[in-house]
Amino acid sequence: MSVLLAADSLELAYGDAPVCRGISIEISEGEIVALIGANGAGKSTTLRAIAGMMTPRAGSIMFAGQDITRLPSHERTMLGIALVPEGRHVFPFLTARENLELGGFKNRRDNAKVRRMIDEIFDVFPRLRERSGQNAGTLSGGEQQMLVLGRAMMSEPKLLCLDEPSLGLAPLLVRDIFQTIKAINKGGTSVLLVEQNARYALETASRGYVLQTGSITASGLCAALAKDTRVREAYLGRAAAKAGAA
Amino acid sequence: MTATIVAQQAINGIVLGSLYVLVALGLTLIYGVLVQINFAHADFVTLGAFAAYFVMHALGGQYLLGIVAALLVGAALGWAINITVFAPLRRKGNELLPLIATIGVSVMLQNAMLAWFGPVPYAFETPYSQKVFRVAGTFFTLQSVIIIAVSATTIALLYAFMKFTFLGKALRAVAQDRETAGLMGINPNTLIMLTIVISSALAGMGGAMLAPVLVLTPFAGASVIVKAFAIVIIGGFGNVEGTILAGLLVGLIESFTTQYLDPGLIDIVVFGLLLLMLAFRPTGLISERREENV
Repeated sequence: MSVLLAADSLELAYGDAPVCRGISIEISEGEIVALIGANGAGKSTTLRAIAGMMTPRAGSIMFAGQDITRLPSHERTMLGIALVPEGRHVFPFLTARENLELGGFKNRRDNAKVRRMIDEIFDVFPRLRERSGQNAGTLSGGEQQMLVLGRAMMSEPKLLCLDEPSLGLAPLLVRDIFQTIKAINKGGTSVLLVEQNARYALETASRGYVLQTGSITASGLCAALAKDTRVREAYLGRAAAKAGAA
Repeated sequence: MTATIVAQQAINGIVLGSLYVLVALGLTLIYGVLVQINFAHADFVTLGAFAAYFVMHALGGQYLLGIVAALLVGAALGWAINITVFAPLRRKGNELLPLIATIGVSVMLQNAMLAWFGPVPYAFETPYSQKVFRVAGTFFTLQSVIIIAVSATTIALLYAFMKFTFLGKALRAVAQDRETAGLMGINPNTLIMLTIVISSALAGMGGAMLAPVLVLTPFAGASVIVKAFAIVIIGGFGNVEGTILAGLLVGLIESFTTQYLDPGLIDIVVFGLLLLMLAFRPTGLISERREENV
């Protein structure tokens, strides 16, 4: 497997306030990689840097053999990086269908293709077809999550970055969303998954990185991380840690 | 007889109102997308009026080409103010600076026009002002027909652009959530540029058609812009449909105040309405959709 994305020693800051240091992450083609860690560990910040919503103070990001460290987010989308931001961020006063159309902005000169892709997404999420003419802001949380996933897929990404896709969703829906993420990955899209629900994240991904107060403190295959006592204690709950020790 | 007077004043009100709509739409679009106010908008109106005046005279009375010239001059001014003021100051991230800077641009343009064109009012007579029709007791000039036709077409085209084209939808997306629009592959800076160019073209075009109604001096735009601001507030800042409604409403209020009260009371009535709106319905006429910008 060849390397799709390689972030090397990223240093990230908001203004003068440093958030992350020495972040190095690699994602191979076809892989699902999880980024886990507590609230405020810098997971979202790392994702924002990869999607181009902030420029790192130091370090570099290579994507498909190209240096993208200083590229703005809209150019990265054109290269094949899609980000589903935390809190979903639908365009509330555009209809569900218009949200999907904008996801396909890359293909705006090919209306037939955009229509065909929207139909494919409606086949995956039949609920969205029912809601297609409704303003996205009036959809339920679960529907909005489907919409932003579909919207991200409309740009035909090579790498799909997801920030907390399970946040605020009912447990049953969470299972559905993770099923969908796996299906998207089977279709050939690499996935970088940021998730507070470490159990789901480690089950879905093949490799993982653990972020703690702005640095990577552990990394490896998810199966191994799930057995790591420190990871269990910190992110999978005390009971799991005891069960693992016993 | 009274019905005729009402009809006559309604026509006058709509003619005036549709010009206010053109000017106010530009302000509301820029606010909707950038959350900024362009104080030089008034001077784009004036410069559009002068452009129309000079082009019309140079071409021996081609008023319609004058309107086109005003539109182009407005668009060019919008492009210029974006690259000199809005774009560089946006990179600095300060929200107050562009506002102050546009006041500076406004003062500069007014004084430049004063130097070039002088303080004496220009008489802007178009070849169409004298052609009067009479229909069922009401009078209107070919000039008013042109104003209504051009404004209505422009507003309809703008509306269709925003509603049905990819670029128009992208523009609304940038207005609603600039960062997320970037994630769609949309370059927000390009769309902000487009918004300012469209808005300023509308201002120039409005000027070309307002000037024959008003007294054309370097300060002509300033007298209209205060009303345009009132319209934008009555319609709900950033709300396109509200602005169209409010513009027509203010035009009608003006013509009926002139007929039944006193022309001197126009500003009192309009700004009285503005105060009432601010007190009781600060989100504008169409408040169900108050959070939508553009």
